Parts: sequence; structure tokens; C-alpha cells
Amino acid sequence: MTAPAPLPDPTAPDQPSAAGLAGVPLGWPADSGDLPRRFPGREALVQELAARFPEASGGASPIRGGSKPALAALEALDPVRYAASRNHLDGAVSGLSPYIRHGVVSLAQVRDLVQQRMTAGPEPVSEKLLQELAWRDYWQRLWLRLGDGLWENLEPLKTGHPEAAYAPGLPGDIDEGRTGLACIDAFARELVERGWLHNHARMWLAAYVVHWRRVRWQAGARWFLRHLLDGDPASNNLSWQWVASSFSAKPYVFNRANLERFGAGRHCPGCPAAAACPFEASYEALQAQLFPTPQGEAN
Amino acid sequence: MERPVLWIHAEALGPANPALQAHPGRPALFVFEPGLLAGDAGPISLQRIVFLYECLLELPVTIRQGDGAEEVLAFAARHRADGVVTSAWVDPQLGEIAAGVAAALPLQVLEPEPFVVLPQPVDLRRFSRYWKLAGPRLRPDRAGTDTFS
Repeated sequence: MTAPAPLPDPTAPDQPSAAGLAGVPLGWPADSGDLPRRFPGREALVQELAARFPEASGGASPIRGGSKPALAALEALDPVRYAASRNHLDGAVSGLSPYIRHGVVSLAQVRDLVQQRMTAGPEPVSEKLLQELAWRDYWQRLWLRLGDGLWENLEPLKTGHPEAAYAPGLPGDIDEGRTGLACIDAFARELVERGWLHNHARMWLAAYVVHWRRVRWQAGARWFLRHLLDGDPASNNLSWQWVASSFSAKPYVFNRANLERFGAGRHCPGCPAAAACPFEASYEALQAQLFPTPQGEAN
Repeated sequence: MERPVLWIHAEALGPANPALQAHPGRPALFVFEPGLLAGDAGPISLQRIVFLYECLLELPVTIRQGDGAEEVLAFAARHRADGVVTSAWVDPQLGEIAAGVAAALPLQVLEPEPFVVLPQPVDLRRFSRYWKLAGPRLRPDRAGTDTFS
């Protein structure tokens, strides 16, 4: 999954709201069925689209579309801080994934800037950010090769459970954010309200859905795709398959210590399930509990 | 092709879109198809639609709702176009729309700048195998080497 980020804040007002929200003028006449390109403000845009797309759930993300926020995120890219902190929820991730997914900025454009910043100083710079861009390219190449085959297991699951042991649909308490687990519910809310999750949160949430709740990864992948601004079946489904173990050597699991270390300490304090946390165990104990087949180190 | 219209799709919503770059000022169209982007996943959320729409407002593009190929062809007819220019896609759903367009009008597909050019065939069974080929071509000090070809 291409990495994302809080810097700079793409939610900052960047549209001329006082003057309304108007598209660039077109050099040809409009036709009667054309959708509008001028609104009194963002709220009016959202109302208009809610009426035109009645099957679409939710509201607007605080993350704005367009090249201005994309270029601001591009400008803030820092390969050094990225490599040092990217696994932390508060880390210096790029926030570029929605813009890259929809070609607002191209992968080649981001590559050029990262290469330039990698060579700007005298010290060698980690290639982690470059590698993260390469993951995106890798997923896209696989999509070209596999087509809709992305929706099928690429390899057999290594969990020891038969496919039939996994529920076909997502339980309602997960997508409604009422499992009672503060971390999982917070991730579900962020997915639905913001349309974006840190990669580590995606992994934790996916592992919970597939391994703790024993739900088919496809159900979780569909849920993510409906909401993620950067959602595409390649990065999304193949990452779910990596967690599930149909595109990796072993299932991905996490424990509470891992979540507390990288989760910015914001979930466990006050969690109603803290005393009976399903993630509070060693990896060995979790693997014994979750999988009938012995697993190697999973994290 | 002397009087093309441009078909802008959801994988190229930026000013660097190769069709917009190659034919500045030509009429351009984006179509919200029912089910587009969702694939097997069902309708996408409103936040995704708003995000796409905000990207579209920055581009000189007519926005419509309906069947992709039908809308592109009707748009081409309105502008008396002799063909359609678009940019390459990955999503097979876009390929189906393109096939519908190409059945009725000449369709030119422009390739964006690649991220990395690799010798074929590329082993994609694991990222590590891909990276073995791509890494040396991407690292700023040694990009472009043919060591692994």
C-alpha cells in the first residue's frame, strides 16, 4: 500500500469558499445532461452529489481532491523522516496515496522528487520511500497480469483453516464500529469518516477481520474499497491477501504490545475491553490460539 | 486524427494527463459510471465521489453520469470528432469502456511516463524478486543499469 500522511494538512481550506467553488472554465458549450461545475461552496457540492448518487453512503472526507493539496503533500516529502517513523500512526508518511491512485500526481513525478531529495545531502539516505513507491508499481503490474483474478486466493491459505471456515460477509459490529475494542472501532470510524487509514492501521484491522473474526478477506477488501480514497483492487486486495496468507508465507498477526508501540498510545487507555484484550498475548500464544497449523514468527 | 475529443478516466485526474497535454483545449469528458471503481465491491462512498469531483473541477473536462462508452461516443458526435484520445489504464473495467469506444471510433491511447522500465518477462511472484530488478534502476546513483537484464 502506498504510504500516506498528515503533513501538510490536506484538510486545510484551499478552495475559494467565499467566492464559491467553481471549476476551470470550459472552451466548449455545455450540454443539458452535463453535471454542474459551479457551486456556492463545498457543502453545496456534497449535497448535489448526495442527490445524484443516492446509493453512495456517508459524507465528505476532510481530505480534499485536486492538485493543490497533492502538490503540498509532495513538497513536504522527507525520505529521512519517512524511513525513521513510517510505521508509527503519527509518523511522517506522505499522504499522497489518494492523489497517486487517481493520477493527480504521477508515480514518476513522485519518484523524481524522492530521488532528488535522496541525493540532496552528503549522507546516504534510506531508500524506504522509493521502495514504497515501487510497491505501488508492483501492485499495478500484478493487476495488469491478473485482472479480476485479484479477487481469488493467489495461493492456498497457510492458516490451517479450510476456506469454508471463513464467514463470507463482514459482521455488522465491525463496519459500524461497535466491537467494543477501542482500536478496532477507531480504525473503522476513520475508514468511514476520513476515507484514509495509516498502513499499519489497515494491517491491524485486516488481521482482526480475517484471523480473529475468521471472515473471508474479500469481505474486508470490499469494505475498504468502498471507503478508501486511494482504494484500488490491486494494492487493496493483494495487501489483504498478504495478511490472510494467500499471498505470503504465513498469516500476519499483531499483538497489543505492537499496537501500543506503534499506535501513538491513543487506543488502550480507556478501552472498555482493556482488561480482556484479545490482542494481549505473546505471538506464540496468539498463533496457537488462532491457527491449528504451527506458524513461524509472524511479525 | 484532426478533431479528437479526450476521454479522461479515473486513473489520470491530474494536469499531467497525457491526453490533456497532447491536445490542450480540445473538448474532454469524464463519465461517472454506475459501479465504476467499485468492481466487486458495490457502490463507492460519497467521500470518494466528492474527492474525484474536486479533482475534476480543476481540469477542463465535462462531467457526466451514465454508460462510459455510450457517453464518450455521444460526446464525440456532439463535437463532430474524428476520434478519441485517452491515456493508458490498468483497471480492466476501463478496458471494457475503451473497447466499446474503439468499436465505433478510432481510439488513441497515450502512455504516461513509466515508473521504471524492466526487462521482460518480470517475475512478480514476490515483491523481493521485482525489487531485485527495479531497485538498481531506481536508486538515484545507479539508475538505468542493465546488470540484471
